[in-house]
Amino acid sequence: MKTNTRSEIVAFVRSAGGLRPIELAGKLGITPQALHRHLKALVASGDLEACGRGPKTRYVIAGEPALEAPRRWHAARGAPAESPASFVCETRDVFSARLGRLASLSKEGLGGAELSLLISAVGEIGNNCFDHNLGHWRNIPGCWFEAQSTGKRLWVLVADRGQGVFQSLSRALPEIPDERAALLTAFEKRVSGRAPENRGNGLKFVRKIVEGSPARGLACRSGAGLVDYGALGPDCRGHLTDFSSKASGTVTLLAWRLS
Amino acid sequence: MRIEIKRYGNVLSSRPAGREAALAMKAYQRPKPGEKIELDFSGVLSVGPSWLDEVLSALRAEYGTKRVVCLPTRNPSVIESLKAIDS
Repeated sequence: MKTNTRSEIVAFVRSAGGLRPIELAGKLGITPQALHRHLKALVASGDLEACGRGPKTRYVIAGEPALEAPRRWHAARGAPAESPASFVCETRDVFSARLGRLASLSKEGLGGAELSLLISAVGEIGNNCFDHNLGHWRNIPGCWFEAQSTGKRLWVLVADRGQGVFQSLSRALPEIPDERAALLTAFEKRVSGRAPENRGNGLKFVRKIVEGSPARGLACRSGAGLVDYGALGPDCRGHLTDFSSKASGTVTLLAWRLS
Repeated sequence: MRIEIKRYGNVLSSRPAGREAALAMKAYQRPKPGEKIELDFSGVLSVGPSWLDEVLSALRAEYGTKRVVCLPTRNPSVIESLKAIDS
């Protein structure tokens, strides 16, 4: 059974989506030594997981991605209060450069073939943010792009504050009834909001990749629409239920099992 | 004539980058009449269907579909991208 202090630590970490020891000590008003004992016990019990090293170590809920910051960023009605440059790629060039950095995930146990497919799938999703929202951003351009590994899984989140899939596809297919139908069309039929340009196979490609192995999955939210694909898709879906169904734009969470 | 795709990058993803690559290929590579254009993907980490679609569409339009050949590769992103484009 967890002590009150340990329960408080877990609650703070869950609410913030991840905290450093110095931040936790400030909230709890306990000594660093006492905090260290609690954190060690919570890691041993499987409640928390340490990410990073040295002074940058953050504690997160074990096995779950920390998505509170991008959730707030995506949901903000006006310009988000926080738009960290380390995660928000305002231009395609920045996104492309950061996409290449996923190659370093080979150190986390992702083999060459899996890495190749992951980067390819994430590239399609991230580039869609720019392809379909140029001139249609809610206020700030670009996408939130973040990769986290926790609980033997790699989680990759790509979110944008653009017009959303329904709005984009309705131009080409005015008969699409709602946001969920728009998402299903985007992932399952060859059609593009940029018709008559001959394109629109990117998300079908992504779906095929995640369905090609039980070690992969994704969920995608755009407005009230929420779909998932692949064996790990339901897990991803669970993490996107807290994202706003009122905010325009699109959020995609991919999960890849690490060996 | 063989084009080493790795000269255009290690991670090849977007349509704009694919269009630029295709323009550069057409500008600097001059195949002899009737010669095949072989795309060699060795040394590339990842290719997306959007990038590859732009490159293949431009080269096929310039030289004809039969002259543009993707050399066999074990890179799964290339294999899956080709399936997506030609399906």
